[in-house]
Amino acid sequence: MSIDIKQLAVCVTCHAWNADRTKIAFCPNNKEIHIWAKSGNEFQPEAVLTEHDQVVTGLDWSPKTNRIVSCSQDRNAYVWTDEGGQWKPVLVILRINRAATNVKWSPNGDKFAVASGAKCVSVCFFEEEQNWWVSRHVRKHKSTVTSLDWHPNNILIVTGSTDFKARVYSAAIKGVDKKGGASPFPDKPFGELLGEYPCGGWVKAVAWAPSGNSFAFSGHDSSLTFVTVPDGKTQVVRFKDLPLRDILFLSETALVGVGHECTPTLFTSQGGNWKFDRRLDEPAAGGAGAAAKGATAFDKFKNKVETGSDKNETTLLTKHQNSISKIVAYKAAGGKTTQFSTSGMDGKVIIWDTAQLKVTV
Amino acid sequence: MCIRDRYQRRVRGKTEMAQTLATYLSCVRSTLQAAICLENFASQQVERHNKPEVETRQSKELLLNPVIVSRNKVERVLIEPSVNSVRISIGIKKADDLETILCKNFMRFLCQRAENFVVLRRKPRPGFDISFLITNFHTESMFKHKLVDFIVQFMEEVDKEISEMKLAVNARARICAQEYLTQFT
Repeated sequence: MSIDIKQLAVCVTCHAWNADRTKIAFCPNNKEIHIWAKSGNEFQPEAVLTEHDQVVTGLDWSPKTNRIVSCSQDRNAYVWTDEGGQWKPVLVILRINRAATNVKWSPNGDKFAVASGAKCVSVCFFEEEQNWWVSRHVRKHKSTVTSLDWHPNNILIVTGSTDFKARVYSAAIKGVDKKGGASPFPDKPFGELLGEYPCGGWVKAVAWAPSGNSFAFSGHDSSLTFVTVPDGKTQVVRFKDLPLRDILFLSETALVGVGHECTPTLFTSQGGNWKFDRRLDEPAAGGAGAAAKGATAFDKFKNKVETGSDKNETTLLTKHQNSISKIVAYKAAGGKTTQFSTSGMDGKVIIWDTAQLKVTV
Repeated sequence: MCIRDRYQRRVRGKTEMAQTLATYLSCVRSTLQAAICLENFASQQVERHNKPEVETRQSKELLLNPVIVSRNKVERVLIEPSVNSVRISIGIKKADDLETILCKNFMRFLCQRAENFVVLRRKPRPGFDISFLITNFHTESMFKHKLVDFIVQFMEEVDKEISEMKLAVNARARICAQEYLTQFT
């Protein structure tokens, strides 16, 4: 049902693809960033970037400028530029005094935003005269900011925090952004709060729809809230599964969430009504599944000899063996994503195809 | 009452007790599966530090509501979840004084070797007999469903162990007394 399963490390915290999907950058749950390049059908290790002091929590690779930005729990962020095969880091002065949790390039690749445990978001842009990355802070959060996403117009950001709220801010920087672009909200100065939306649990993931007319955020109370802007109408979808850790819009009517249930979950909307559709990684039912699980008599006795019990319950039936932490669009065109990749705490990166999963995007 | 009725009542009582035990353990299991949804979360109080939030308890918004699953007044489980760690405290069945002493000694023996158990806490929470601390680092390196299996299996087996120890103590006491008193016959 999936195109590719790659076991890259013991545990992968975050990953990012380059523009033509020939290289992947990921953090194997330590302070390094590994870059693997595609050779044929397999991925081979290409480079190891070691500049951070603690685990790297966020990675993003801009398709426009081919630069990687990474942020870590050591409260630093680096922008990496590829100079003839060597990746050169440039330290970004974020001016935060706690860990960074997430980082995203803006759609034009000229700014990036870093969410942090210092209860603020650092929006950074390149200052030409001084030749370095400068940051400006968006405050007004009451707790750690866990996630953020950029609006397609390069100006608005939505943030999610452990203070049970999702907020939309303006991140317009004079000199970088031009006024009067398409925006659901009127033009506001930098750091202006445009909307605040409550959640029943910590907000773990936020994402804008491809058109930018609505966004969604997932809460730790196993809920997914859809908000249309600027009228602020919300729709809450509650589901039985364990909470989602990351979400991705496939199109205006389909969204995939990943999280502690170890399987991507599909949510669809019909006429504006969102609902839980199904888990995308259901194991094959009936005989095929039972045989694969080892319920045959031979396997039972084999397990009894090897492990002392006659049930082989160590491996989960899903492809991911531990919770999934990140989902990234792999192939997207015209506002619709047809392939996406997920990385999890089991160290696997799996690329899923919506056609194979019979998902209408 | 005839012997057959007495026997049937004892068998039925045992299966009823086994059924309540199974319900109790399945309730604990499903609560644990929901509570052990942990992520790496750096400390908001101290820079560059990563602490289990359920132990530091500095930020109230990072702690979830504690849940007690109890079978009766003595046998209960307190589950305190938070964003990156869960503390599970167990109260074990103690029918009489001998079982209380055996339970205390057995748990102290285990807690002194807490490093080998990885998820065990060195001191139990006041009011309970033994405590476990599971952090996001444990769920990253171990399967979550096996961790839940371990805790539920521990609860089942510790009751059996203490009953066996009580029988052994009584048997040894009887043998000692017999040997001592033969010199007077």
